[in-house]
Amino acid sequence: MTELSLAPFPLLRLPLAPLLFAALLWPLLLGLRAALGATISLGQPRPHLSRPLNQPLSQSLHQPLDWLWISAPWPALALVVLGPDGSLWLEAWLLGGCWELDDQRRLLLAFSALLWGLAGWYARGYFAAEQAQAAAGDPDSRARLLRFALFWPLALCGNLLLLVAEDIASFYLGFALMTFSAYPLVIHNGTREARTGGLAYLVMAVLGEGMILAGLLWGAGTGSALTLSELRATLATADMGLWMGLLLWLGFGVKAGVIGLHLWLPLAHPVAPTPASAVLSGVMIKAGLVGWLSTLPLGMAGIDDAFQGLGRAMLTAGLIGAFAAALLGAAQRHPKAVLAYSSVSQMGMIAALVALGLLQPDSWPALSVLVLFFAAHHGLSKGALFLGVGISEQPPRLPAWLLWTLLILPALSLAGALGSGLIAKWSTKKALEAAGEETLAVWLSLAAVGTTLLMARTLWRQWRPWRETIETNQRPGHSLSTSHRPSQTLRASHSPSPNPSSNPDQNDQHLLAPMPLAWLLGIVAALSLPFWAGWLAGGLTAELADQLADGIDGELEGAFSRQLAGGLASPPLSALPALLWPLGLGLLFSIVLGWSLRRVATRLSHWLPAGDLWWPLAFCGRWLWCLARGLLQGLVILQAAWIAWWVARERDGLTGLEMLTRAEGWLRRQLALLLLAVALGLAVVLLLNAKSTLLWP
Amino acid sequence: MTAVLPLATLASSLLTAAVIFMLPEQALRTRTALNLAAALVKLVLVIWMAWGLIAGEVYAVEFAVVEGLSFVLRVDALGLTFAGLSSLLWLFTTIYAIGYLEDSPNRRRFFGFFSLCVASTLGISLAGNLFTLLIFYELLTLSTYPLVAHRGTPQALAAATVYLRYTLSAGLLLMIGMVALQVLAGDLRFGQQEILAELGPAAHPWLIGLFWLLILGFGVKAALVPLHGWLPRAMVAPAPVSALLHAVAVVKAGAFGIVRLVYDVYGIGFSAALGVLEGLVVIACITILYGSLRALAQQELKPRLAYSTVSQVAYIVLGIGLFGPLGTIAALAHLLHQGLMKVTLFFCAGNYAEELGIHRIDELDGVGRRMPLSSLAFTIGALGMIGLPPVVGFISKWMLGMGAVQAGKPWVIAVLVASTLLNAAYFLPILNRLWFRRGPAHGVGAWPAERAPSRLETSAWLLLPALATALLSLLAGMLAGLPFSPLQWATRVVQQTYLMP
Repeated sequence: MTELSLAPFPLLRLPLAPLLFAALLWPLLLGLRAALGATISLGQPRPHLSRPLNQPLSQSLHQPLDWLWISAPWPALALVVLGPDGSLWLEAWLLGGCWELDDQRRLLLAFSALLWGLAGWYARGYFAAEQAQAAAGDPDSRARLLRFALFWPLALCGNLLLLVAEDIASFYLGFALMTFSAYPLVIHNGTREARTGGLAYLVMAVLGEGMILAGLLWGAGTGSALTLSELRATLATADMGLWMGLLLWLGFGVKAGVIGLHLWLPLAHPVAPTPASAVLSGVMIKAGLVGWLSTLPLGMAGIDDAFQGLGRAMLTAGLIGAFAAALLGAAQRHPKAVLAYSSVSQMGMIAALVALGLLQPDSWPALSVLVLFFAAHHGLSKGALFLGVGISEQPPRLPAWLLWTLLILPALSLAGALGSGLIAKWSTKKALEAAGEETLAVWLSLAAVGTTLLMARTLWRQWRPWRETIETNQRPGHSLSTSHRPSQTLRASHSPSPNPSSNPDQNDQHLLAPMPLAWLLGIVAALSLPFWAGWLAGGLTAELADQLADGIDGELEGAFSRQLAGGLASPPLSALPALLWPLGLGLLFSIVLGWSLRRVATRLSHWLPAGDLWWPLAFCGRWLWCLARGLLQGLVILQAAWIAWWVARERDGLTGLEMLTRAEGWLRRQLALLLLAVALGLAVVLLLNAKSTLLWP
Repeated sequence: MTAVLPLATLASSLLTAAVIFMLPEQALRTRTALNLAAALVKLVLVIWMAWGLIAGEVYAVEFAVVEGLSFVLRVDALGLTFAGLSSLLWLFTTIYAIGYLEDSPNRRRFFGFFSLCVASTLGISLAGNLFTLLIFYELLTLSTYPLVAHRGTPQALAAATVYLRYTLSAGLLLMIGMVALQVLAGDLRFGQQEILAELGPAAHPWLIGLFWLLILGFGVKAALVPLHGWLPRAMVAPAPVSALLHAVAVVKAGAFGIVRLVYDVYGIGFSAALGVLEGLVVIACITILYGSLRALAQQELKPRLAYSTVSQVAYIVLGIGLFGPLGTIAALAHLLHQGLMKVTLFFCAGNYAEELGIHRIDELDGVGRRMPLSSLAFTIGALGMIGLPPVVGFISKWMLGMGAVQAGKPWVIAVLVASTLLNAAYFLPILNRLWFRRGPAHGVGAWPAERAPSRLETSAWLLLPALATALLSLLAGMLAGLPFSPLQWATRVVQQTYLMP
């Protein structure tokens, strides 16, 4: 592998261990800094710590999201670029730690760290108003920001750890750390909706963690496995491997949005701050996919036949998810809810591809590369789309046509019409044909129609408010700078920041302000993914080429040899119609449906609220809880009655004792009399008996 | 030399108790200094003995009380596990108690019995036969009674009475069981389990019956369902006593008794052959689930923690019941882990009650802002109880799961996962309230009874022990691979004592 690898900087390879430690510890340190800042500021009500609120304690307290904070994923990026392949053993860590870096992990790390970095940068602009309020001395916004500044790097650290972990304990730690640290990000606003979204997120996450723990314990216990590769090998051959696989599939499926377990996605995404939604949907749900890839025996020779059934279940669930989410998403009103359903749909497609690893182990090596590429493509494009939602709410100074072109680009890419999307689609089609799964290819193309529909819907839902804002602003008396800004209008009563340089109003509409720039870079990164992904993980692409070269004709072999240098192949012009028809069909559908359903659209959205099954399930859950509590109360009453019965018996016993004592006392008092009576009686008896004999002869 | 160390360790607490009883009530500084010095000396002595034990020294004291019945103190790795736990946590609990009982009456009585209680815990851990164990076990019962009743309120007195009823009747059963074993097999030392195994199949029904009788006796202190009734009621005791009951001494003494019974009196192989281990597993599983369910229904903090103890201590029994080295490692490691985590939780609950007058869970809104460090410690403890890495609870749960699978009982994993979910269901809402709700610290409402603000969020005597134990439970999990972590120590005990032929 290392000989084949066309790694980007062969000239500079630093040792692995310090890079790994830096990548994982740097976010932790930044989180610690925020926690310290929080401790200082939380001490405010104390007399000994009370200072005038606007006197600067430290920079990190007033502007928690500073430049240093943004740098959290940078060491990870350095690790991606400069780190050599290899593994690191840590004897003392948990149950024995093993962290690894290879081509697969490098690609995952690359797009994850990139999106975390861009979203963090974006957050700096997104929270500019809140930061200004914090600097002006509003304790609530400062507390919220500090919380965000603490948990964002923690979630990042967890995400990075789960990507590099090879031992099960570290993997589980990373997964749990990421999951639970993301909860405060979801409920950042503290509104009622945010709490509902957070609750849905947390409940589903805990259920998922439970299933993951069960699967991991069972698998690891059966094979005495400590590392993920040992676990995969165990699963492939164990008697009950299928059930372990099922638990792991469902457990990670909560994160990856398998249909039925996806409930948290459309509830949590719209309420989370936009940068958090971007990483939730772009990177964190990929952790579910990474979980599948790391624990399921995909593409293993000698795999138990029972896994065929699991593979079919995954495939079916994936396809159902891809279509159902498209339909549910098309009924949503909030653009971020539409995007969340789109994530469910896309992850469904990826899950269908993963399922092939169980159904057709032979074709897995080619497919696994594709799955990774698809994941990276979806992560970055979806990230750019989410960031775009914030951009359309607070548009930078760009001509409208340019703004909307830029907003549409990642949507087109996700629908498979250009850039990484087109290439992912083309490669998928080819790989599926090579694996003899033409039917699946058709289904996936049909699912792409759904994607187009969702993209059209979300852009439409973005366009409407933007249009209204522009129209409002063009009326006299409104300047662009006091434009629609939800977080600011919410607390418009607060005085503006005394410090003009931190006043966001002038700054954040320049093209080079954090928000637009991060967004632009996100689009660029998403569209150029094929170039740098191949460049970064050259070995992987070469492997894909090797695997595919057997099954395709000579005309295409040239394309794959080009791909070694320039990433994955672009499709030839002649193949374009076959790839673009879903887009056309999807657009047609969107227009027809949008026009014909415009009257009932509101009612439709009302019938199908975001989170679909969550509401009936939550109702049932509450009902069950009441029932369980009633039962428990009954049990407690029963127990109390039982104890009371025993206590009563004890009292009976005591009463009996007391009677005895009383009888004894009576006996004591009357003893002389009694004895006398007995003596008398005896005497009488004697006298009567002695009647016959003469006493005095 | 060999007899001196165990006696000295025992004396370090017994003498302290005697001296404290003789000191006048006002001798505050002397008492504090004496308490801390004794705790430190004891910890050092225990570490010394552990060191010597690894080096191969033998520490034992014994003399015959009557013919055929002897008082035996003998240091082995298993006993040192418990001794180490109790002496380490006693240090923290003493510090905490000094801070907690500041300016309250009857401190002489409290600290005297406190020392006596720990002395008996130490006696239990070093005891070399059932008779000696029983003596200290009863001493523990009697010396904890004044602690539970310390406040003197009708509620406290009632709880102490319930406690005494449960434990004394259990002591009676233990006595009967011990005498019967004595009659069957003579003066059994711990570790002579082959004597029972050689009694032949005719004695097996007797032995099985005696096993359950003794489990019934130990199960009261270990709070196995349905013998757990005293534990939640004893919650009226002051926080350091709760910590002592739940983490350091009483509940652990019961669990340790079961460990001794299974491994050193009957022998694990013989217990498996008698078929009594399955019963233990079932009882433990019921206790785990029932305790968690009851915890879920509690609206006050300390009773919720108490039911959580019921559930968590049963993990130890579960580990014992899983025949195999991994189960044993899990049981012994959890003996230590649960102590660290639970003591942290009780310290924090005490801090909330002392500083803000909080007893109910719904009063905890926004406490994280007012008392961030205590809440951080509480969070670490609670996450550990749920079993999330890198806190030690994860290590316990992982080893238990491994042990269950290797003992051929994968269904136990379902119990573990259900317990994890229930733990999450009753701890995560508390954490949510602590950190993410708006409360009096945000200007909404008022604390039930806030103490005058001090320099730290609360008195340093109260804060530092909680932080220390939280840090320890975090480190013991993160660095479980280090040579002297609880996990590695448990592995060492198991390797040395049970797997060697």
